[in-house]
Amino acid sequence: MIEINGKDIGDLTTLNYEKMKSDLLTLNMGPQHPATHGVLRVEIKTDSEIIAEATPYIGYLHRCFEKHAEKIDYRGVIPFVDRMDYLGAMGMEWGYALTVEKMLGTEVPRRAQYIRTIVGELQRIASHLLFYGVYAIDLGAFSPFLYAFDEREKVLRLFEELSGARLLYNYIWIGGVWNDITDDQLRRITKFVDNLEEEVKTYHKLVGENKIFIERTANVAVISEEMAYQYGATGPILRASGVDWDLRKKRPYGIYEELDFDVPLGKGEKGQVGDCWDRYHVRVQEINESIKILRQCLDGIEEGSIMGKVPKVLKVPEGEIYLRTECPRGELGYHLVSDGGKTPYRLKIKSSCFTHVSMLPELAPGQMIADFVATIGSIDIVLGEVDR
Amino acid sequence: MSGITPDISDFATKENLDYYDDLTFGKWLKNIGITIKSCLTGLAITGKVILTKKAVTIEYPEVREELPSNSRSRLFNDVDNCIACLQCAAACPVDCIYITATRRDKEAPKLKTDDGTPIKLDLKQYTIDTALCCYCGLCTVVCPTECLTHTTDYEFSQYTVGEMKYDYLEEDIRAWKHRIVK
Ligand code: SF4
Ligand code: SF4
Repeated sequence: MIEINGKDIGDLTTLNYEKMKSDLLTLNMGPQHPATHGVLRVEIKTDSEIIAEATPYIGYLHRCFEKHAEKIDYRGVIPFVDRMDYLGAMGMEWGYALTVEKMLGTEVPRRAQYIRTIVGELQRIASHLLFYGVYAIDLGAFSPFLYAFDEREKVLRLFEELSGARLLYNYIWIGGVWNDITDDQLRRITKFVDNLEEEVKTYHKLVGENKIFIERTANVAVISEEMAYQYGATGPILRASGVDWDLRKKRPYGIYEELDFDVPLGKGEKGQVGDCWDRYHVRVQEINESIKILRQCLDGIEEGSIMGKVPKVLKVPEGEIYLRTECPRGELGYHLVSDGGKTPYRLKIKSSCFTHVSMLPELAPGQMIADFVATIGSIDIVLGEVDR
Repeated sequence: MSGITPDISDFATKENLDYYDDLTFGKWLKNIGITIKSCLTGLAITGKVILTKKAVTIEYPEVREELPSNSRSRLFNDVDNCIACLQCAAACPVDCIYITATRRDKEAPKLKTDDGTPIKLDLKQYTIDTALCCYCGLCTVVCPTECLTHTTDYEFSQYTVGEMKYDYLEEDIRAWKHRIVK
């Protein structure tokens, strides 16, 4: 007689499989797991390969940035917001700078606006290239990762020349940008963009059109339009579900109003609208749109100063503001409350990845473990932004 | 394990494993065909890259990369030009610059920095805890005499955290001036 959890399941010759089936296995995925893209822990209850329940646990990368910001002057906060989404740091800085500028009423020079748009879109390209590479690794392909990193490296190199750092730039300052961009660098961006357009086509052929990739991603983790609304999804995830919402179009900031670009939407080409393949495809198309925007900026960039008039000792007038921008991973919102002092009274940051992680418990049940890896990969979270 | 209802294990039912539902022999063959074709497309792309692209990696300890000139790496303070104005310490968001200075004697010979700013304070200690530093560059921007700079030197790992604390008044660190400063 064999007993499992106090239940008699018969002897070795007459094992009662029906009774054995009734228990679920609890597994911890993460916090050190290559598929969770950082320090996310997901507690999953599985029935053999099928997931019955998944609970994400966050907080492993919590660094108290919101509280820190209350003690540092407005300029010193920028290195901290950099460290939230460390793969899309330009977007983080841009949002913060816009928030403070709006409170101060600072006019940003045209040249600085153009440079901000250029670096912002380059950052989007770099971030989506990283997604492309890492997602392919999640699903078992290695070479796409190397190709994408080769291209991404060119962007990082350019950022290093502009700002001095490869990931955490502290480049977009309140009132403008730190360093001016040279004509030589602009020419290099033109060359990079021309080359990238061809590369992206190859990339899509290599991964997106691959039958194995389609089988692994089509119809997996479908996020319907309704569900995306309910959870407050933003960015590529919302657009993959077929919702035409891009802040750059709907609530333009900077010079986006003058630029001409499309918003790619998920169409359910390989399966249902809002599946993993759609989320992948929206991002690849967004690289092309960013290229379009970059070309217009490179043509239209104006001469002039790169720093607006900002007092040496920054004191933001009393009041509060909520401002959101479109970052590579979705909407980022800053709620800044000022009491008129040298430091923010309160800085609350709304992160898009946080809302996306909260979708996991609804997406996971009924999936295979391997599909769950594809799901986490497709929502493209950065844990630095989730925990802040 | 307690508190688990046995009926959740019904997840492993046919409905959840619908992958093979309407699979006919013809479809099966076609799937294999498409898979082989798309794998060959992939292999053709990889093959092209192998033949046409140059290697993008470098063999690190033998070949060292030259960083761009305004790369923000190890900090260096040329203490002879520092006027101990404490602006860098005030700008630092993580407070990792420690400065001690005393008023200079009236009788002592007058000192000037390279750009002509008179030095009124004697620097007694100028320490940066580079283990705390986040290499943001805010301290170098505010420095009025431009004595505090980022260098492009990126190889400075240590075994203990204490060794990451640099006192820029020490002789051997002063000697960096001729070695790593751009
Ligand atoms: S680089 Fe930034 S963190 Fe480091 S010492 Fe200077 S101000 Fe402080
Ligand atoms: S800002 Fe420059 S001159 Fe002033 S204390 Fe710092 S290093 Fe010295």
